[in-house]
Amino acid sequence: MSFWFTVMRQVGRNLRQTWGSQLMTLLTVSLSVLIFAFFSLIYTNMINFGEKLGDDLSLIVYLEEEPGPELQQQLINKITTFDEVEKVRFISRAEAYERFARQLGENRDVLDDMPKDFLPPSIEVVPLKNLRSLNQVKLFSAYLSRLPGTLKVQYGQDWVERFYHFTRLLSIIVLLSGTLLILTTIFMVAYTIRLTILGRQAELELLKLVGATNNYIRTPFLLEGLLQGIVGSSLGIVSLYALFQWIKLRFSGPGFLNVFEFSFFSPAVSLSIVCVSILLCTLGSYSTMQKFLRI
Amino acid sequence: MVELIKVSKEYPPDVVALKDISLSIGVGEMFFVIGMSGAGKTTLLKLLCSMEMPSGGLIEISGKPIAQLRGYHLARLRQKIGVAYQDFKLLTDRTTAENIAISMEVSYKKPAIIKKRVRDLLDQLGLADKHDTITGELSRGEQQRVTLARAVANSPTMILVDEPTGNLDAITTERVMNLLNKCNKAGATIVIATHDDSIYRHTSHRVMELRRGRLQAISGGLP
Ligand SMILES: Nc1ncnc2c1ncn2[C@@H]1O[C@H](COP(=O)(O)OP(=O)(O)O)[C@@H](O)[C@H]1O
Ligand SMILES: [Mg+2]
Repeated sequence: MSFWFTVMRQVGRNLRQTWGSQLMTLLTVSLSVLIFAFFSLIYTNMINFGEKLGDDLSLIVYLEEEPGPELQQQLINKITTFDEVEKVRFISRAEAYERFARQLGENRDVLDDMPKDFLPPSIEVVPLKNLRSLNQVKLFSAYLSRLPGTLKVQYGQDWVERFYHFTRLLSIIVLLSGTLLILTTIFMVAYTIRLTILGRQAELELLKLVGATNNYIRTPFLLEGLLQGIVGSSLGIVSLYALFQWIKLRFSGPGFLNVFEFSFFSPAVSLSIVCVSILLCTLGSYSTMQKFLRI
Repeated sequence: MVELIKVSKEYPPDVVALKDISLSIGVGEMFFVIGMSGAGKTTLLKLLCSMEMPSGGLIEISGKPIAQLRGYHLARLRQKIGVAYQDFKLLTDRTTAENIAISMEVSYKKPAIIKKRVRDLLDQLGLADKHDTITGELSRGEQQRVTLARAVANSPTMILVDEPTGNLDAITTERVMNLLNKCNKAGATIVIATHDDSIYRHTSHRVMELRRGRLQAISGGLP
């Protein structure tokens, strides 16, 4: 009891003595948490979005001519040797015509003059969900286009590629801001605690002389780092949440953002971000003490 | 309590502050170390509280050599030794009460107990009205007493006092000696370094004289 009383008083004293730089550190910590969490939030939402889009991803293989049942089986064998697939479906000329006509709806009479077999037959391949990364889809499409009797392979090349590059870029930004977070928390916290330590050299010397244990001297500084971590990262997450709510309110209603179902971090993820920041801050204060509090 | 065997201390580059001092001080003894300025009194006290390491010889306190003590054990030993430094080592931006409290806080005494002990000591040393004064604003004589109060506050088993009466008048000197005698009666071993003969002239305790780092003579003490 007395231990914690003494420690808390020491922490209070430290905070009062260097409150200017303490505040700076706090803001830096929360800002870096905010930046990191912001980009991660966009990233995770993009990934979710991509998964949803990927659900209807399918490759259409256009064929030169209608395959007989024998050839169909051979083609299926060929396709599944590349990878297992979710579904393979043959679409005959007639089916393709029917589909097209249905899509035209009222205007189907424009087809009246066309022969019923002007559309090529095709195979619709729905890849397994784990084949969703762009590289795999590309490889798969290249493989399919080399099958004998193939005219052309089609999938949403354009958007898949653009989307993929976008998420790649985002992941790099997330990594960068994560590094920024680690550096700022560790170094800023270490720096302020160094300031405190240097400002109290005389006292720390005396404390050692009158028999203060390492724990007695160190705990307040560790706690200081811990406090920076807790308050700073919570502040960062809370302000991101506020920002998130504001954007949602502002842009609700029909519009671009409604295409995506934006969602915030789950409580578990938010908590892990806070915990990691606390850990980093404590690490920062610990490393400084190792350097400046040799006993 | 304290055993010194052929203890020497050299400061770089070649100042010999103490040379071949052998000495034992018993538990509960009051022991005077005298000698001219520069004789090595302060150095001896610094060795006893392991603020400095001897360059040769062995120092044991309560049967344990103190040279190897580190970390927690060193801290515990220092909590048991109260030192009134010649240069005071006060935190000059803190109040008198805070300065005295430090030595008790490091061994986690309860705040209420600390408060009471601080008042008590200030009363005995005639500093009752300086409780909340910043020590930087005190006179040297007052600072000297605050240092002493800090040294005895945690009721250590050994008290080392360096020139406790240097800046004091006769009456205050008596107050200081009364406090030290009281601690001694309560069982504390006390080592006083001084060149003020008024406090050891009529003593029945042992007096050791140092001269240029060497043990010149030990006199007094009951047979
Ligand atoms: N830190 C030091 N570095 C070098 N020499 C020192 C140091 N401290 C004391 N001395 C020298 O050691 C000798 C003994 O000093 P000291 O123990 O302070 O004597 P006293 O307390 O009896 O006046 C003196 O000659 C002094 O100059
Ligand atoms: Mg001296």
